[in-house]
Amino acid sequence: MKKIIVFVAIVVSAVLFLAQAGMSSGTIKIGAVQPLSGNLAVYGQGFKMAIDLAVDEINANGGIKGKKLEVIYEDGKGTAKDSVAAVRKLIDVDKVPVILGPAASTNFLAVAPICERAHVVLIGAESASPAITKAGDYIFRVFPSDKLQGKGVADLVIKLGYKKVPVLYINNDWGKGLKDEFVKNFTKKGGKILSEIPYDQGKTDYRAQLLKIKQLHPKAAVALVYVKDGAVIFKQAYELGIQTQWITGSAAKSGKLIKLAGKAVEGLIGTYPNFSTTSPQYKHFVALWKKKYGDKKIGIFAEYNYDMVHLVAKAIAKGGTTPDGIRKALYEVSKGYKGVTGDKTFDANGDVGSAYGVWMVKDGKIVTRK
Amino acid sequence: MSLFLQSLLDGLIAGSIYALFAVGLTLIYGTLHFINFAHGELIMAGAYFAYLFMMPPLHLSPFISGGCAIVGVVCLALLMDRSVFSPLRNANSLLLLIASLGISLFFQNLAQVIWGAEIRTFPFPLERGISLGPVVITPVQAWILIIAAGAIFLLYLFLKFTRAGKAIRSVSDNPRLAKTFGVETERVIRFVWIVAASLAAVGGVLYAADTNLEPHMGTINLVRAFAAVLLGGVGNVWGALIGGIVIGLSENLGVLILPIGYKDAIAFCVIILLLLFRPEGILGVRWGVR
Repeated sequence: MKKIIVFVAIVVSAVLFLAQAGMSSGTIKIGAVQPLSGNLAVYGQGFKMAIDLAVDEINANGGIKGKKLEVIYEDGKGTAKDSVAAVRKLIDVDKVPVILGPAASTNFLAVAPICERAHVVLIGAESASPAITKAGDYIFRVFPSDKLQGKGVADLVIKLGYKKVPVLYINNDWGKGLKDEFVKNFTKKGGKILSEIPYDQGKTDYRAQLLKIKQLHPKAAVALVYVKDGAVIFKQAYELGIQTQWITGSAAKSGKLIKLAGKAVEGLIGTYPNFSTTSPQYKHFVALWKKKYGDKKIGIFAEYNYDMVHLVAKAIAKGGTTPDGIRKALYEVSKGYKGVTGDKTFDANGDVGSAYGVWMVKDGKIVTRK
Repeated sequence: MSLFLQSLLDGLIAGSIYALFAVGLTLIYGTLHFINFAHGELIMAGAYFAYLFMMPPLHLSPFISGGCAIVGVVCLALLMDRSVFSPLRNANSLLLLIASLGISLFFQNLAQVIWGAEIRTFPFPLERGISLGPVVITPVQAWILIIAAGAIFLLYLFLKFTRAGKAIRSVSDNPRLAKTFGVETERVIRFVWIVAASLAAVGGVLYAADTNLEPHMGTINLVRAFAAVLLGGVGNVWGALIGGIVIGLSENLGVLILPIGYKDAIAFCVIILLLLFRPEGILGVRWGVR
C-alpha cells in the first residue's frame, strides 16, 4: 500500500512539474479555429496568412512582455460540428485563454456557448450575424454586425432606384440575420419585398429557387450569398436567361467569384464594410503583407484578422494570460484603437462599428463604385 | 404556366438521369439481392473521372472523357465486387448491405481527400439557354436528354436481344432455374456489374454536367434511385426506369407547391409512403420485363 502511495505521489509530482515547465516556457499560446479544409477553405487559408502576419510582427517586436505569441491552429472544416470539436480540444487539451473564432456565423454561434460556459474569450474577425451581439460576455468580434450591412444593402437598393425586389438568401444564421435586417430596413424606406427565398449551402442545383425569381420578372434582385454558392447561382441564373440587376453583400466579394462564374457576374453590385485604404495603418499592413507574401493577393477579411490579433496581444499585455483578465482588458485596449480596418472600440456587447462602400464587377474585375 | 412547363422540362431531364441510376441499382438487387449503398459512389466516381479527363493536363473532349469515365467506373465496380462482394456471395443480404455502406463511406472520403470538399464544375463555356417558347433549355441539357434516351435504348436492346442480356433476366427471375439451364451465375453477375456501373457513370457525368460535382453527390442520388426502385417494384428494370422519371418530375413539380427547401425531401417522402402502403411498388410486376 505504502509503495503505491509513493508511486502515485511521484507520478503526480512529475506530471505537475512537467505541466509547470510547459507553462513557464517563453511562449503564450492562443488558439485559432479556422476552416483550413472543406467548403470555406478558400477563405480559411487567407485568414491564417493574415493571423500569421500579425503574430510574426508582434514576435519580431519583442513579443508580449518578452514572451513569444504562438497560435495553435485547429481545422474547423467550415462546419459547426468540426468547429465545436476543435474548440473543445483547444479548451480541454491546450487550455488556451483565448480562441480566434471560426469563420461563418453558424460555426461561430455553435462554438460561442462552449466558450461562454468555459469562460474562454472567443473573438471573431469575419462573422457578421446579428445574433452574435447577444452571444455572451466572453464573445467579441472585430467585424461589423450585419445589422449595419443589412441596412447598407437596403440603402444601396433604394439609392439605385429599385422599389420592388425578391431576396434570395443562404439558409443559415448569417443569411437569415442579414436578410431580416435587409427586409426591415428596406420596407421601412418604402421598398417592397416580392419574395423571400432561402437556399441551402453546398447544393449543386439552385434552379428551382431561380425559377421563382424569373417568374417575378424583377428589375433587380438581392442575393445574399457566399462565393461558391454565389458562383453556382449566378451561372444558373445566366443560363436560365434571368436578366436582372443582382445586388449582394460583401461575402461574395472575391476574385474567386469572377473566376468561377465569369461573365455571369458581370455588372453585379454589392456593399462591403469599408475602411480607409489611405490610412497609415493600412499602408503599413500592405507593406508588411508584401514583405512576407510577395505578390500574393491580400485575402478577404485579412485586415480584420490582422487587427484582431493585435488587439488580443495588447489585451494579454495589459490583462495577463487569464481569460477574465483578457476579457476586461479587451474593452480597455480597444477604446479608440485605430486599426487597419478603422476604429475598433468595442461596445458593451463586444461589437464594433463600420462604414460601408459599394463594389461592382466591371469587365471581369472587382471595382469600387462611387 | 411557363413556370409549370419549365419545371416539367427540368423534371424530365433530372428524371431521365435518375432513371439511369435506378436501373443499375435494381439490376444489382435483382441478381445479388441486396441494396448496394455504394451505387451512389459509382455515380460520383463517374462524374469525377470525367472531370479528371476534361481538366488539364489531359484536356480531352467531353465525349471522350465520358467514355473514359465509363471504363474507369466499370473497373471500379468490378474491383468492388472482386474484393468485397464476391467473398460475401453467400452471406445474408444485411451483411452485404452493411459492407456496401462501408464502401460508400470509404469512397466518399477518398474523393474528398483527392478533390477536396468544394464544388467543382465541368469546364464548359457559360452559355445562355435557348428559349423554346416559354421554356429555356441549355445546349448541355439538350445533350443530356439525347444521351440518356440513347443509353436507355441501348439497355433495352441489350436486355432484349443479346445472350448476356437474356441471361441477366433469367438469373434475376429465378437464379436456381437459370443455373439448371446452364447459365453461369458468376458471369452474369459480372455482366450486371458492368451494365450497372456503365449506367451509373453515364448518369453521374450527365448529372454533373447539368449541375456540379461534389464528393457527396452520390448520397442524395442514391436516395432518389432507391425511391425510383421502390416505385417500380424492387428488381423490376422498366419499373425503375419509369420510377426515376416520376421522381425527377415530382421533385421539380413539387416545389411549385412546397417550400423550395423541401426539394430533396420529396424522394425521402416517396420512400416512406411506399414502404408503408405499397412495398411491392406502384407498378407491380404487371409491367415488368424481368
